[in-house]
Amino acid sequence: MNWTRIIRTRVSEKLTWDNLLPSEQPVYVSSLVYSFGVFTLSSLVFCIASGVIMASKGAVWYQSGSEVAMYFRAVHFWSVQAFFFFMTMHLVGQFFMGSWREGRALTWVLGALSFGVSVVEGFTGYLSRGDFFSQWNQVQSKDAFNGAGMDGFLNILNNGQVYGLHIAVLPLILILLVGWHLVAVRAKGVVPPYQARALGKGGDQR
Amino acid sequence: MKTLVFRRDTLRFPQRDFDMVKEGVLSLSVAGVLILGSAALFGAPFRPAVTNKEAALSQPVVVMQTALGDLDGQGAIASYGPPYNNGWHGVAQSTQAIGPFAPETWWGTPYAIHTANADVLQPLGMLATASGNQTLSAALKTYERAPYGQQQQWDQNLSTALGKARVQGGQVVIPPGQYGPVALMMKDELALAKSGLLSGALDRETNAGPYRWNVQNDLLFLQGAVLTNMAGQINMQGGQWGINHDEQAYPGPWWLTPYTALYQMPPWNTLPNGDQLAAYTMGLMFGLLVVLPFIPGLNKLPRVMGVHRLIWRDWYRKLESSDACVECPLRATCRQEFRAGVDVAPASGVPACYSGRDSQDMPGNTPGGVLHAG
Repeated sequence: MNWTRIIRTRVSEKLTWDNLLPSEQPVYVSSLVYSFGVFTLSSLVFCIASGVIMASKGAVWYQSGSEVAMYFRAVHFWSVQAFFFFMTMHLVGQFFMGSWREGRALTWVLGALSFGVSVVEGFTGYLSRGDFFSQWNQVQSKDAFNGAGMDGFLNILNNGQVYGLHIAVLPLILILLVGWHLVAVRAKGVVPPYQARALGKGGDQR
Repeated sequence: MKTLVFRRDTLRFPQRDFDMVKEGVLSLSVAGVLILGSAALFGAPFRPAVTNKEAALSQPVVVMQTALGDLDGQGAIASYGPPYNNGWHGVAQSTQAIGPFAPETWWGTPYAIHTANADVLQPLGMLATASGNQTLSAALKTYERAPYGQQQQWDQNLSTALGKARVQGGQVVIPPGQYGPVALMMKDELALAKSGLLSGALDRETNAGPYRWNVQNDLLFLQGAVLTNMAGQINMQGGQWGINHDEQAYPGPWWLTPYTALYQMPPWNTLPNGDQLAAYTMGLMFGLLVVLPFIPGLNKLPRVMGVHRLIWRDWYRKLESSDACVECPLRATCRQEFRAGVDVAPASGVPACYSGRDSQDMPGNTPGGVLHAG
């Protein structure tokens, strides 16, 4: 068994340029719902870009009151709001389309995991604001993290750990998951519509 | 002949022109205008964190009660249990468990805090040394050398008295009583907090050197009544959907709504292990979301709900208006699928009306853009 050959064959079958950068789509891909995914990605780009700029200057900078720092803080805040809005719409839309059908279960699983990681990433971000919201939610959430048994790994009152999780560990996991999710989407293509049902029974074609 | 294992079934369908790069750039631009514009117009919320100094100035009695609870071992953190300590005389008061299942206790006390030493005796000892305060030094020695029963008696007497204390001209007035050295210790603890030096004293305990990453002891000192009172004033307590909303009119982390909702209803907001139950409930709900494609019944739900008819309305309308069955090799099945009074799907699972056989005739098709996969 040649692992290299197997990987090369699978990748070249699934990830052709036609699949990765399609210039055609099935005609049924015609709805606003399809834009939520790409808007989620676009918002994520702004989350990462503003986050990297803030991280490069350090946590004290964005709590300093400097107008430039406050603006990047606001960009990060609104990009996160946009990210969660579009991601939630994307999730709901894909649910109604039953988009795990015809061999796309992995795509759904990866997307749902990305959502979960995003929630934790968002929470560690809220705890890294360094304001009353951080302080209050940090002491409030400690009982849940401790009670669930997470205290073996996580001290939610240790800002060094929370900040490290927020700017490195969780973003890396999220980017990997989202990247894999995208490859899965492109490899299988967009899920086809449910089959048309009988008109007399209020069929799909109405 | 080599068989292609992977088949892209979306190629069964007629294709239309699509520019992925252009769509990406457009989306990035629209998102950019929305995000950068909102940031410029609205800014972002920021309410400065509460310091021990502010707490001492605004709630002096509560700060003294907190310090006294840390000293006598009956305060919320002093008696918490793992991961901070072993609780009140070895019995954890805040450890949550479902029957014998208490994973909180599995790791021992990795974030150990002995509140009497950490919050009171050590900071006051440093204050006495730094200021050359012989009276405070003597009071600390008296307290530390007294038998445990005597210490508890003084603590209990002062605890009762603080319930009747008044604040006059910024000073806490306590009725006369048998408090031993504890009244002076608590008065100096309050003064230390008012000066702004208490935070530094607490932060040095959870950090190995001058770098202050871990603010555990500082936050644990404030975490009880002090912060709860302040959070209540701006509707941010747990029972007020606290974590769900941000400052004033700004949107908060609304995606935590299902989690926050649990805290508004029994049993999560009534049971002593409510936090543990809420965490596991959310874990379970999230697990269901992840494995939704594999749950019989639930994975068929979207078809029954029928929202897809709205999402793909153009597609279904085109199939109907173009009389897509006319040229279909599976014409009989196709017509039955569209016109019959019963729900009929071809046994093969291939969509009868858009199998791709005659997709040149399909609406929206572009010449040369049709691909077939068998």
